[in-house]
Amino acid sequence: MTPILSIERLFKRFGGLVALRDIRFDINQGEIVGLIGPNGAGKTTLFNCVAGVERPTGGRIIFAGKNRSVSLVGKKPETVTALGIARTFQNIRLFDNMTVLDNVKIGRHCRTRSLFFGAVIRHRAQRKEEKAITDSAHRFLEFVGLQGLGGEIASSMPYGHQRRLEIARALATEPRLLMLDEPAAGMNPQESLDLMNLIRRIRDRGITILLIEHDMKVVMGVCERVVVINYGEWLAEGAPQEVQDNPKVIEAYLGTGAANAA
Amino acid sequence: MQQLVNGLTIGGIYAMIAVGYTMIYGVIQLINFAHGEIYMLGAFFAVTFISILGLPFYAAFLLSMACCAICGVLLDIFAYRPLRQSPRLAALITAIGMSIFLQNLAMIIWGSRPRPFPHGSLPAYFEMTAVTFGGVRLSWFHLFIFGITIIMMVGLNLIIRKTKWGKAMRAVAQNKTMAALTGINVNRVIAYTFALAGALGGAAGILVGAYYNSLYPTMGYIAGVKAFAAAVLGGIGSVPGAMLGGVVLGVAEAFGAGYLSSLYRDGISYAVMIIVIVLIPAGLFGKVLKETKKSM
Amino acid sequence: MFILQKMKPGIQIRVGFLLLALILPFLPFVSDYLLHIIILIFLYMILALGLNIVPGFNGLLDLGYVGFYGIGAYTSGLLTYHLGLSFWLIIPLAFINGAIWGILLGAPTLRLTGDYFAIVTFGFSELVVLFLTNEIWLTRGPLGLPGIEPVSIDLTLFGGPKWEFIGEVPYYYLAVFMVLVTVFVMHRVQDSRLGRAWFAIRDDEVAAVSCGINLLTYKVIAFAISAAFGAVGGSFFARWVTFLSPDMFKFWESFLILCMIVLGGMGNIWGVMIGAAVLVSLSEILRDLLPLLGLPVGVRFLAFGLIMVLMMRYRPAGLLPIPAVAAQMRAGRVKRKKVKASVGLKK
Repeated sequence: MTPILSIERLFKRFGGLVALRDIRFDINQGEIVGLIGPNGAGKTTLFNCVAGVERPTGGRIIFAGKNRSVSLVGKKPETVTALGIARTFQNIRLFDNMTVLDNVKIGRHCRTRSLFFGAVIRHRAQRKEEKAITDSAHRFLEFVGLQGLGGEIASSMPYGHQRRLEIARALATEPRLLMLDEPAAGMNPQESLDLMNLIRRIRDRGITILLIEHDMKVVMGVCERVVVINYGEWLAEGAPQEVQDNPKVIEAYLGTGAANAA
Repeated sequence: MQQLVNGLTIGGIYAMIAVGYTMIYGVIQLINFAHGEIYMLGAFFAVTFISILGLPFYAAFLLSMACCAICGVLLDIFAYRPLRQSPRLAALITAIGMSIFLQNLAMIIWGSRPRPFPHGSLPAYFEMTAVTFGGVRLSWFHLFIFGITIIMMVGLNLIIRKTKWGKAMRAVAQNKTMAALTGINVNRVIAYTFALAGALGGAAGILVGAYYNSLYPTMGYIAGVKAFAAAVLGGIGSVPGAMLGGVVLGVAEAFGAGYLSSLYRDGISYAVMIIVIVLIPAGLFGKVLKETKKSM
Repeated sequence: MFILQKMKPGIQIRVGFLLLALILPFLPFVSDYLLHIIILIFLYMILALGLNIVPGFNGLLDLGYVGFYGIGAYTSGLLTYHLGLSFWLIIPLAFINGAIWGILLGAPTLRLTGDYFAIVTFGFSELVVLFLTNEIWLTRGPLGLPGIEPVSIDLTLFGGPKWEFIGEVPYYYLAVFMVLVTVFVMHRVQDSRLGRAWFAIRDDEVAAVSCGINLLTYKVIAFAISAAFGAVGGSFFARWVTFLSPDMFKFWESFLILCMIVLGGMGNIWGVMIGAAVLVSLSEILRDLLPLLGLPVGVRFLAFGLIMVLMMRYRPAGLLPIPAVAAQMRAGRVKRKKVKASVGLKK
């Protein structure tokens, strides 16, 4: 079976600095894959290359769309989202001045169509679409556990809720692959457990997940497979426990990873 | 050929104003719309010093430059510094507001009719021809302007490259946070930049006022726009670029007015500005303006 | 009256104003001069609402709005003068014309960063003024374009009368109608997929893109619609004052309209309208007051410049900020303990 995402010989250079060198790995449909590595290893850069925010200097990124495979290199971020890849951000990027519900509604943007004419005239198709947007937004909020908070202003919510809102918004784009960038950052143990549950439930809905994370409890807890990169290069790959015991990985982390997972 | 001389003259003056825009943009990423008004105040200060204090031309020139430097600093302290942390839109609106405020303040103080330098205040030899060649006439005033312009440009370059303040300015322009961490008093450096920009702008104002022997409160508006176009042409943020841009624009304008309709002379600057921005935002020397992005 | 009591206070106020507006010309103290000023306020409300789309909804600074206003006014004036077109035909034409200019100017320039875009719009509007002043064969330049026919309702095709607008009162009701339509459109857009996309762009472009929003497309749409309203306002203006000259469309107008939305509350429809009302009234009051104080009339401009500087310093969100900002301002004034939400995830 073809992998849902296939990264081959990926290079990314920023001027003189090589951020990613010859990265290659695959993600299969329905997996939860963890992407770990010390700070500055290039994990977010990799996300950015897949999402279209950065343009790879070399290599291929192939995404298995519904009907055919598509190369993601050179695609704009909005196109990548429309193709079915959603991502969250390391430093949460919500629409601060908008309500929680509106934030999720915007996630529906790439799956809906109406513009100026529809907005003003409000013909039947537009009204149907708006109702569908609102209903589905409520359902996504419920799914992540934020039901009833739709009217709150996004920036006024506690940090943990903001993280979950960002995930709800990403889910609203109906992705087939969801990329989460350090979703557990700043969470206490209970919140992390809730997050792990959420991630499993997302996967149960048929969405493949790629996860950057430093919190080893979360990585060990949800990931089926882990890819390790260091200094922009692929270092190791395998089941979480294997990777954790891999001496090269331990060396890269200088033991911090092992200490955290204890 | 005479056009070329005119072009270079006016170009040098545009350059002096343009470096002001570019330096201020460099350190605080703000287009100082009120810069043209400082240029205008320079001319009016000089005229006032001559007519009320009875100072001779050169003394008035220097005193006016100093006053303009102070005005620049005051502008920063009262209008822009409180908005350092605010969104850029707020600072831009403030800049425009200050520009309009100063223009109208000048109108109230000095009246809106164009006025000349007081009779006999300009050094007499300015009018006299210094050099003639190939049908082109260079008066002493032309030479004076060239001289001042060159001295200022060279001086500015030296300040930026060699002095401590200059290095501090460049540091702040590159990365404010890091500059602060290395012990640079960022606010003071910014004030210093405003002072320099103000002095140069004021000097330019006096030169233009004397050259055409006509001052009016809205003279800063047009000149400001053109100088800004020059700064953009040279690449905003780049001082040598602004200098070059000023000269190029001045020459282009002189030739354009000579050979095309003079009605559209001002239009040349606007058109140049738009074309440059759209086609090569980086200008001749500069780097493309980057929106300040939140880190990912 | 019964219905009125059933509505929420906010709506009550607005319906009240609407009723007042409808009967105003018939009140005893209302002179033609006062009507003229109020029509002017309505005109600026339309213009301000149009401009509001770009900085208010999208967060982009547009310094060249007067360019579209001028294009709309002169196109409408010339079409009327040379072809005798009916006002009711000119309005949709003006809307489309404005939108086309908006797309022409916006498509190449909206990919630029905010500062550069602001400057390009400024340059554009200055070029428009230069064009209007210099192309005398077309616009009569500084001499101005007089003799534009006033608005009329022409039912002669159907065997009915032709009723020409004479005096301020018919224009007053026309202006009320146009403002209502504009507000209606803005409200509908605000609460729609398009409006949300714009707000997303305003709040965080990177996040907006990650939700599938193509920045350039939506910015161009915003700019085009803004330009369209500017042109419509210009068309009304041309047929109302029946005289045009290029110096009515200088940069100062762009700045003034920008002041209105900044003062009133950028992004907030009602705030923008209040800003328009306040500044136009202030301008007229100062025009009469200043000579009494011995100051030249030009001081008004100085006052406006100062107001802008002070507003940016002390209340940048405007008199009526958008709801989210207003909520933040209220929260800032009241110290609140963080409430721990006891929301559980489904197992």
